[in-house]
Amino acid sequence: MTAILRAESRQLTRSSIVLTGLLGLLLAFVLAVFPGFAEEAELIEEAFPPVLLGLLGIEEIHTIEGFVGGYVFSIVWLLFAGIYFAYVSAGMIVDDIRTRRMDLLLSTPVSRESVVLQKVAALWVPLVALHVGLFAVLYVGIQVISETLDPATLVLAHLLTVPYLLVCAGIGIVLSVVLERVETAQAAAPALVFVLWLVDGLTHMDQDFEWIGAITPSRYFDPGAILVHEEYAFTDAGVLLAAFLVLLAIAIVVFVRRDI
Amino acid sequence: MRTQTDADEPAVETESATEAESTRESPVIRIDGLTKRYGDVTANDDVTFDVYSGEIFGYLGPNGAGKTTTIRLLLGLIKPTAGTAEVLGADIRDRRALTEAKSAVGYLPDTLGFEERLTGRQVLDYFARMRGDERRAELLDLFHPPLEKPVETYSHGNKRMLGIVQAFMHDPDLIILDEPTSGLDPLKQDRMHAFLEAERDAGKTIFFSSHVLSEVQRICDRVGIIREGGLVALEDIDDLLKRSGKQVRVQLAEPVDEAAFVTEEMIDVETVDRTVRFTYTGESSALLEHLVEFEIEDVDIGDPQLDDIFKHYYGDDTSSEGG
Repeated sequence: MTAILRAESRQLTRSSIVLTGLLGLLLAFVLAVFPGFAEEAELIEEAFPPVLLGLLGIEEIHTIEGFVGGYVFSIVWLLFAGIYFAYVSAGMIVDDIRTRRMDLLLSTPVSRESVVLQKVAALWVPLVALHVGLFAVLYVGIQVISETLDPATLVLAHLLTVPYLLVCAGIGIVLSVVLERVETAQAAAPALVFVLWLVDGLTHMDQDFEWIGAITPSRYFDPGAILVHEEYAFTDAGVLLAAFLVLLAIAIVVFVRRDI
Repeated sequence: MRTQTDADEPAVETESATEAESTRESPVIRIDGLTKRYGDVTANDDVTFDVYSGEIFGYLGPNGAGKTTTIRLLLGLIKPTAGTAEVLGADIRDRRALTEAKSAVGYLPDTLGFEERLTGRQVLDYFARMRGDERRAELLDLFHPPLEKPVETYSHGNKRMLGIVQAFMHDPDLIILDEPTSGLDPLKQDRMHAFLEAERDAGKTIFFSSHVLSEVQRICDRVGIIREGGLVALEDIDDLLKRSGKQVRVQLAEPVDEAAFVTEEMIDVETVDRTVRFTYTGESSALLEHLVEFEIEDVDIGDPQLDDIFKHYYGDDTSSEGG
């Protein structure tokens, strides 16, 4: 039974392509300004308020590794893509319930567990679209501006965003089965992802509060470390995957028990 | 195998049908003390009845009486506060069994939720992947929604036709219909009624909810009447017909002579000058024969309102609080 997966995948195709296009454009622009930016990087680094540097996890911004890790991954993947995954997942269940599509869907021989799993599985579409599209833009763009970045490291950096994005989706799907209104769920999930990202950045700067950041998903994904220092935190990725599975399990348990 | 019931010769066939029904074994739907409460509101209150194989069961009640709640409980969309039910042998509290049983159930909800951007064909393809579509072509000969257009452009009637095809195309044994003819034009309603009777004769069980008495009278074999969450009556349709009667208004050319005009079958007679209003409990033909003896300017024969039936035949001690 993969009818739901097929239908959901088809539905996500358009928004995934549009988002990939937009973020690809943004990437191309940012890469285009990098050569000029690198020349004055020291000045910029000094002029940047430390808060902002810390928030984005910027280090060695004059190198392409630092630039891609600090700018591109922090903003494009952690923030924008994370928000998109949270937003899309937040609509998956509650929207079907509100529009009564769920009535018809659940009148067919499909279990509620399967409904949630197939809907979440459809996120392969934006995952693949964004990664393939943005990797291509980044790889080609770096060649065009005559810089070099180890493609293997870049691939790994891309792969390690997946657990993070899944956690964002997990936040969305839990809110989608708990909340009663589409608008609320689709506002709350992206807002939560943004706040968690902010909390991570802010607490990172203050030793006394750093422990609070341990509950934020972005704490377990450090693109700067991957690209600049070639440190691959597989344990952290495991933590994120575990968190995603827990969120998914919560969503399924709640959805199985609730009235629709 | 049941014999085909021919509409022209009901007497003999109905008898054998009744015989067949008296030997019927396990019901297709068994509802036992089903109760659903939302806070202080009791949407279903200790509802108990059975629906048997090969019958069209009418579930009749005014809007907001709790019909949809019962249906949603039967499909496992909501969970009972107390009591239970069995659908095709599966207890509705046993999720796994109920999910399996649903492959032999068709459902037409009162509010149709389709993916609006898909075309009618894509919607049917989707449901075909969920549970099959061996009867799709046959149904599309009877009901023809514009398959190539997106559902968001559909009229209410077209949406309902798409819903009907969806509900029947996997050839289910039990079909649950929630206000199935609302939004259909009279021609399509007749076609739907004829189709349902043919399905019933082919051995299918049809659970049919409606707030329109005449519709239930026309096609249902038995009827359960729900009001404010509780089942107030459960009877054969013939008994209901006897109880409900027709609402008649006659305008005569001259002031009415009540003694000559009123017959035994007329109840609740109200006379104002040349106009008489009454409820007629006998045969329509007898009424017409009676009326032609008078000089009549206008006649209006209609179905009584459900509320009137409740008032007259089931008592109206509880004030209408809705439900």
